[in-house]
Amino acid sequence: MDKETLQQFEAQCFQEEPPACQTSCPLHLDARALAACLSAGKAAEARKILDRHMPLSGLSAYLCEGPCQAGCRRQELDRGLDLPLLERYCLSRTRAARFMAMPPTGRKIALLGAGLSSLALAWELARKGHQVRIFHQGPPGGRLRALPEDRLPEKALSEALEGLGKLKAALAETLYSPEKFKEIQADYPIVFLGGDDPELRPDLIGLRRADIQPDPTTLLLAGGRLLARPPLEDGGHRYIDDLAAARRAAGSIERLLQGVPPDSARAGEEVYATRLQVNLEGVAVKEPAPPADPRRPTEAEAAAEAGRCLQCQCLECVKNCVYLRHYQGYPKKTAREAYGLISTAFGIHTANTMVLSCAECGQCREICPNGADLGRIIGLLRQQMVETGHMPVSAHEFALEDMLFSNSIAFFRHQPGRTRSRWLFFPGCQLPASLPRAAARLYEHLSGHLDGGLGLMAACCGAPARWSGRPRLTEESAAFIGRAWAEAGRPTVITACPSCTLFFQDRLPDMPLKSLWTVLAELPLPEGAVTGPPLALHDPCSARMDQATRKSARDLMAKLGQPFSEPPLGGRLTRCCGYGGLASAANPGLADDFARDRSADTEAPLAAYCVMCRDRLRAVGHPTLHLLDLLFPEKSPAEALKRPGPGISDRQENRRAFRLNALKEFWAEEPEEDQAMDVTMHIPEELAELLEKRRILRSDLAGVLKAARAEGPQFVNRETGRHLACLRPRQVTFWVEYSPRADGSFDIHDAYGHRMLVPGVPGEGADSAASREGFDPMGGRR
Amino acid sequence: MSTINRELPEIKAGGWRCRKCGRDLQPVTVDLTYVGSSFRVELPGCPDCGLVFIPPELALGKMLEVEKLLEDK
Repeated sequence: MDKETLQQFEAQCFQEEPPACQTSCPLHLDARALAACLSAGKAAEARKILDRHMPLSGLSAYLCEGPCQAGCRRQELDRGLDLPLLERYCLSRTRAARFMAMPPTGRKIALLGAGLSSLALAWELARKGHQVRIFHQGPPGGRLRALPEDRLPEKALSEALEGLGKLKAALAETLYSPEKFKEIQADYPIVFLGGDDPELRPDLIGLRRADIQPDPTTLLLAGGRLLARPPLEDGGHRYIDDLAAARRAAGSIERLLQGVPPDSARAGEEVYATRLQVNLEGVAVKEPAPPADPRRPTEAEAAAEAGRCLQCQCLECVKNCVYLRHYQGYPKKTAREAYGLISTAFGIHTANTMVLSCAECGQCREICPNGADLGRIIGLLRQQMVETGHMPVSAHEFALEDMLFSNSIAFFRHQPGRTRSRWLFFPGCQLPASLPRAAARLYEHLSGHLDGGLGLMAACCGAPARWSGRPRLTEESAAFIGRAWAEAGRPTVITACPSCTLFFQDRLPDMPLKSLWTVLAELPLPEGAVTGPPLALHDPCSARMDQATRKSARDLMAKLGQPFSEPPLGGRLTRCCGYGGLASAANPGLADDFARDRSADTEAPLAAYCVMCRDRLRAVGHPTLHLLDLLFPEKSPAEALKRPGPGISDRQENRRAFRLNALKEFWAEEPEEDQAMDVTMHIPEELAELLEKRRILRSDLAGVLKAARAEGPQFVNRETGRHLACLRPRQVTFWVEYSPRADGSFDIHDAYGHRMLVPGVPGEGADSAASREGFDPMGGRR
Repeated sequence: MSTINRELPEIKAGGWRCRKCGRDLQPVTVDLTYVGSSFRVELPGCPDCGLVFIPPELALGKMLEVEKLLEDK
């Protein structure tokens, strides 16, 4: 993934956009941060924010009219935050931070008028070390002097003037005249006219009011050396605009002095509407409590007002995503962090697990008002990890092995008695793994109702390869299915699993597809279909964009007469169960939290039409059944809701059984029995659970035992008489501690594995200690 | 190379003996390899054929830890 892709994505996530208060302030004061400080009682910190944003903060914070109040999102609920109150509080409790002026630059700038814009500009320029002289007529301060004490304490102005003096910004009382103006212009390369000082009448310096129409961006007048805050029209004057003019003029002057075009890079200086999205749903109304003395609010009053700040954030996707909450990120931040860490050439790749834990489920994209899709970026980063050899070998190996296992026993048959298929039923890898008998009944049902022949193809679609970031394996997997489909005569494929649908849509665009659920909704109900207690219908994340399938699932429920409700966040916004993107393979604990989040949405038992959703939701304790449990029941709905999902070994054995039984039942074939399991093992229940967690299959144990039966175990215990055998069939070494029984079966005491290569261990993987490329479908045991 | 050795808990042979050679296990030096890194460690093994014994606490403890570390490198 290149930097440009990251930047384009970053631009889509608006969480870091400034809040509305800040973009509606001409000085872009960070009012949100100020309020956060004050509600936490940190007045000194708040003052630093004022100092940073406001020139001559000790004066100007008294004068600010608080235009942010109109922009404040609270305005839509009750009243905008009273920033002027908070500013006055801050000034009353704190002093401006001391700062160091820059060393003298020797650059001379003259300011005419001593109103607020000139004083603020003098402060901006003098602290940068420029030599500033304010030419004024009458006492400095202009109209500020006329303000009553409770609006502006006299002290504030005198201290500001004192501060300017300390910065060596000289005040020079003068009599304005056209000659004097010319003289100043001759002496000073840059001159500013502070038109907010009423003493500075244009005619006094030989100008007409119409001459003072500066460029709104730079405040420059024609000629490029004269800047102006235009003389005030009657009414509508705001001190905040004087301050903004000073800031703008300072920016132009700095550019002039550095030889940069004064209008360059000025975007964002103006007041604008923020793109930050804030959801006000559920926010309580909180009217402000006016302080007893508005001129001197107490700490408690200021904290109460500051506490009304909403601390505007977007985080809409984060609120609903276990993954983003866990990594304390939001799409822009998480993408940036992951990109930075994954792109590091050397060192520890601490972001690996982070990148592998996203379910790539698309929920953030659908929630985001701007459609930012973190899953897409995560997918690209996974590819990059594979390309650069940084994909952890262990993360997806089991899932990919499982996929290859499914394809090692893949089969296709036309409907019995037919040589052509108009339709092809593709149950996917997990439906036969979890509900092998229902899957067979389903085929029977469909083939009895569909015209033109219904072929059956059992295989894995290849989606796990894509989730694992391996483009070559993805391509090969899709090609495998594509060839089989073409040989079958290009029938319309009926997919049971919405993930298969998504994968085929993307990789095999010529393949006509129809969702199983749509087909079922159109056909008569199977005989023996039952209804259960009221259920909440859970949509799988893979059907997020598949409105037709979601509707069909509901039509089917209605047809059945099954009462059901919609959990919060269904349909397009549905939650992932944690299987998506192989999150459960790379980060099982976090993936379970995905399922728990869904479980917490509703008290009602759930109905799912993705079998992985059903098994994963059940695994976190939520009563859940699959729609097929109602259509082709093997047990009562009450029992189906509680049926535990199969373990990893059971899944493979169920797939094998589905194949064998289907070939026998429908095609009257006598397939050769699989040899993998001709070892009888006795495994205590607790050990079976451990093996599940260690992702060791019963077929893995059988492999070790068969080798030990032929060659003898590696070790024998002289105290217990137990045997210990090891084998490295692929890039994992398995150790099995067991006792053989007289009948040829084995008592298993323990089994474990490691990836590290230990010399002397037999097996096909004996020479490979995991290449950096990770999972290699061409290597290993196949 | 030496880091993993120093941090390794002392592995006891726990009554295991080599089935082929019939010898009790004794400390042997062996090179463990993973994703391009190699570690020389001392583990109980057969003094004749050299095959080492990996107990579950090593495979699921220190070895797993180092594997993860190397994968993240």
